[in-house]
Amino acid sequence: MPIDLDTFKIAYEKWVEESLPDYRAGNMQEIVKKYPFVVSDGIPWTPYRGRPSEQTFALVTSGGLYLKKSQPPFNTESIHGDPSLREIPKTVRQEDLGIAHAHYDHSLAQQDINIIFPIQRFIELEKEGIIGRVPDTLYSFSYVNDVVTLVTKTLPDFISRIKAAGVDVLLLVPV
Amino acid sequence: MGLIQRTAEEAGIVTISMGNEAERMAHIKPPRALLVKFARGSMFGEPGNVKRQRRIIMDALEALKTMTEPGTIRELPYQWKRPDPENFSCKKSSFSR
Repeated sequence: MPIDLDTFKIAYEKWVEESLPDYRAGNMQEIVKKYPFVVSDGIPWTPYRGRPSEQTFALVTSGGLYLKKSQPPFNTESIHGDPSLREIPKTVRQEDLGIAHAHYDHSLAQQDINIIFPIQRFIELEKEGIIGRVPDTLYSFSYVNDVVTLVTKTLPDFISRIKAAGVDVLLLVPV
Repeated sequence: MGLIQRTAEEAGIVTISMGNEAERMAHIKPPRALLVKFARGSMFGEPGNVKRQRRIIMDALEALKTMTEPGTIRELPYQWKRPDPENFSCKKSSFSR
């Protein structure tokens, strides 16, 4: 468990209560300042071994990407954010994607999704044999404050999916 | 994103993340990260700059091999709408075919 959830939960509930007026008023800097960030002291580490040309590379963004035709957008209203996950197929085209994330400017990513989710570059490197394989499914999260649901529900599911897909290396792109 | 990265790394998956705020990254403590000088929402630089996007991914591949200490953050020199500096990236790294 990357954080002490019991300690976090108490601080988080207090934060939600205190921050709601600022959240509703759009004072994002204030609420970020007060957020009960908890990170354990140590840094987890899996040593890198082998060659990229023989490995599977997955991509995950927190840019709030979803498939406009088949997936619900992330919740962009709640102070809790949205702790759910969207699977983005490797074959996705720019026009298939919507962005549901209320806290960054989407205008550049709308011109070229690769600046937050470099899927085309991954596919090119796979074709050239520089990286071994890009799995059929890649991932997007969005804005999340509700770390309890993220850690207890979404992340175990996410980890089992990427393990089942044989992912060796994960590139994470926040926004 | 820090929590997602740490959870994946703990589960035995090698991770590397992008970031654009050194102070925030020092707080989050990602296992491996590249620090860029770009604004939120454009971690790989300008829209349509395919060469730069690719170069940053190649930097990430190089970083996997050269970062041996947990918590290593490497700053990349690229600047918005300026040409990439020469002799920085991993042109001759062992990751080439």
